[in-house]
Amino acid sequence: MGSKGSFKKMKLLIVEDEIKTGEYLKQGLNEAGFITDLVNNGLDGYHQAMTESYDLIILDVMLPDLDGWRILKSLREANKNMPVLFLTARDSVEDRVKGLELGADDYLVKPFAFSELLARVRTIIRRGISPINELILTIADLELDLTRHRVNRAKQRIHLTAKEFSLLELLIRHQGEVLPRSLIASQVWDMNFDSDTNVIDVAIRRLRSKVDDDFELKLIHTIRGMGYMLDIPDNNLP
Amino acid sequence: MKQPTSLTLRLTLLFSIVATIVFLSFGWIMERSIEKHFESGDRKELRLIAEAVRPVLESIQINQNPLQIKQRFDDILVGHHHPLLRITDNSGKLIYNSSELNLATVPLPSERPYKEKIQQWSANTDNHYRILTQQFTGNNSIPYIITLAISTDFHQHFLSHFRLILWGMIVAGIIVMGLMSWLAVRYGHRPLRHITDQIGHISSNELNTRLAPESVPVELSELAISFNDLLQRLDKAFDQLSNFSADIAHELRTPVTNLMTQTQVALSRTRTIEEYQEILYSNIEEFERLSQMIADMLFLAKTDNNLDPLDLENIDLYGEITNLFDYYEAWAEDNAVSLSLEGKAQVHCNRLMLRRALSNLLSNAIRHTPKEHAVTVKLETHDDRVSIVVQNPGEPILSEHLPKLFDRFYRVDPSRQRTSDSTGLGLAITKSIIEAHGGNIIVTSDETETQFQIILPFTD
Repeated sequence: MGSKGSFKKMKLLIVEDEIKTGEYLKQGLNEAGFITDLVNNGLDGYHQAMTESYDLIILDVMLPDLDGWRILKSLREANKNMPVLFLTARDSVEDRVKGLELGADDYLVKPFAFSELLARVRTIIRRGISPINELILTIADLELDLTRHRVNRAKQRIHLTAKEFSLLELLIRHQGEVLPRSLIASQVWDMNFDSDTNVIDVAIRRLRSKVDDDFELKLIHTIRGMGYMLDIPDNNLP
Repeated sequence: MKQPTSLTLRLTLLFSIVATIVFLSFGWIMERSIEKHFESGDRKELRLIAEAVRPVLESIQINQNPLQIKQRFDDILVGHHHPLLRITDNSGKLIYNSSELNLATVPLPSERPYKEKIQQWSANTDNHYRILTQQFTGNNSIPYIITLAISTDFHQHFLSHFRLILWGMIVAGIIVMGLMSWLAVRYGHRPLRHITDQIGHISSNELNTRLAPESVPVELSELAISFNDLLQRLDKAFDQLSNFSADIAHELRTPVTNLMTQTQVALSRTRTIEEYQEILYSNIEEFERLSQMIADMLFLAKTDNNLDPLDLENIDLYGEITNLFDYYEAWAEDNAVSLSLEGKAQVHCNRLMLRRALSNLLSNAIRHTPKEHAVTVKLETHDDRVSIVVQNPGEPILSEHLPKLFDRFYRVDPSRQRTSDSTGLGLAITKSIIEAHGGNIIVTSDETETQFQIILPFTD
């Protein structure tokens, strides 16, 4: 289904001492198409990371035996440069700076939405894959011309505002991935905090009315409780 | 670090040193002046005798009876304090000597004529004299040398006795002064100890206690006033904190109750997949609210306590608000509300925080604007401050609500509590951000419109 294929066979290591959190993460990531290993303490996590090869490690900062920072430090010293995403219950600028200085690739504060984690994991992994510099993005009969800022659907020209264009571009670039509202707000409008309004819903509805309403094949989908996704529908969708 | 010397010790030492200096100078002056007094008395007496000796010398005849001469000199000395007199002629021949004491050993003053110089002379260790030596030429052209001596032992004796008493008094005086100043300082510090006692007894549930600035000496009233201010701030913060904890508990209780009830009811019998899904969707909305509330509360705690350093930069407010308008435009249009911006201004702020503060105000204004009306943002730069006004027409907010509008979890309409997506922290966050930047925010509301005004200090 869609670009999910590009993440097939990606192997992740989850180091999380909270049993429930770890298991839900594993299940969620497995169902999103990743291969995952889960360990519940820092030492096992370190050994696993040193012996096996992973595309990404999801690392809890606060572990009872060996904390996430020390694991990351030891890994980097051993020249293991796989990307690392930190999970933490503490949110302070010092922590964030420390993590990023040690070479973490991202930092997520609990409680987080699973859709947010998934989006971040995909973003980090995509960094490793050389981007395809397409000038025209296409999905089904929708065409996005990046150089001329033009959108066509079934050869018909669709007029979008600048922000609507950015929104559509974001959705197409992440086709097949659920994008949480917070991620859309931050990527399109540079609003890095959650608003208590339904601004994103309104924006999506407007985009949808221009891109989807007049066509049989619906491309923009609402994933209840998670966010929005652009994809060619198949039978798996609710 | 070493604790500074106690005030009592310092003041006592200072007073004692001053008293010592004063007493010592006083004693020295006393002694000197008494000595001077004795000396001038002796000088006067010596001169008086010398004056009396001269006419007798003048009247002496060569062939005069030596006994007769002696008698005349003896007569002069009568009535004085046992002076000694010795008269010789130029060749050293003794003419008269009142005592067996050998005044010849008295060294003559170096300069001639001997004039009137008074010398000190000790015959032995016990006897001391003041000596006047004069040269006198009588009418028979014979130069005489008159040596007059007067004993100073009596004065010396008096002086040494006086000195003993004087120094005894000085030492006693210094000790008494030291003690007195110690007592005075202790007494003087009594209000300080009193105030310390009072402060020491204030416990966390008596933060509404105040010191009475008029009941303490004027030097301490400043301290009492500052301390009262501190107490007031503490009291307020403490109150807010306890209310806040209570509010958190209350705000969390409702969604958690909903979640528990809903889940238990759902599990009480078998349902269709669609029903389960519906319950999970509903749950996720509650969870999102909870998660948002936690994030907001942490943000507030950090901003209020300045935990994160502010990363300040120059911000063009016109551009920033245009961006926010861009973000809210579609939603506002949906609500048939238009947005307008007037003026230009620049501020020195943390961009993300300011954006968040303004975003909260804007969404709040748009939400409360009736259809077909406009939210207006006005920017103005005054001498040393920037004013940002966000105004919207709409239902007036009752004046009783206005001061509480920025309180955490405060809702004007209690029935709105559960229907809105808001966590009830938006305006509190805005206020906290503005205050962290050294600014302030006020709200006014009348029949036609509600207006929030932010004042930020202006810096280039």
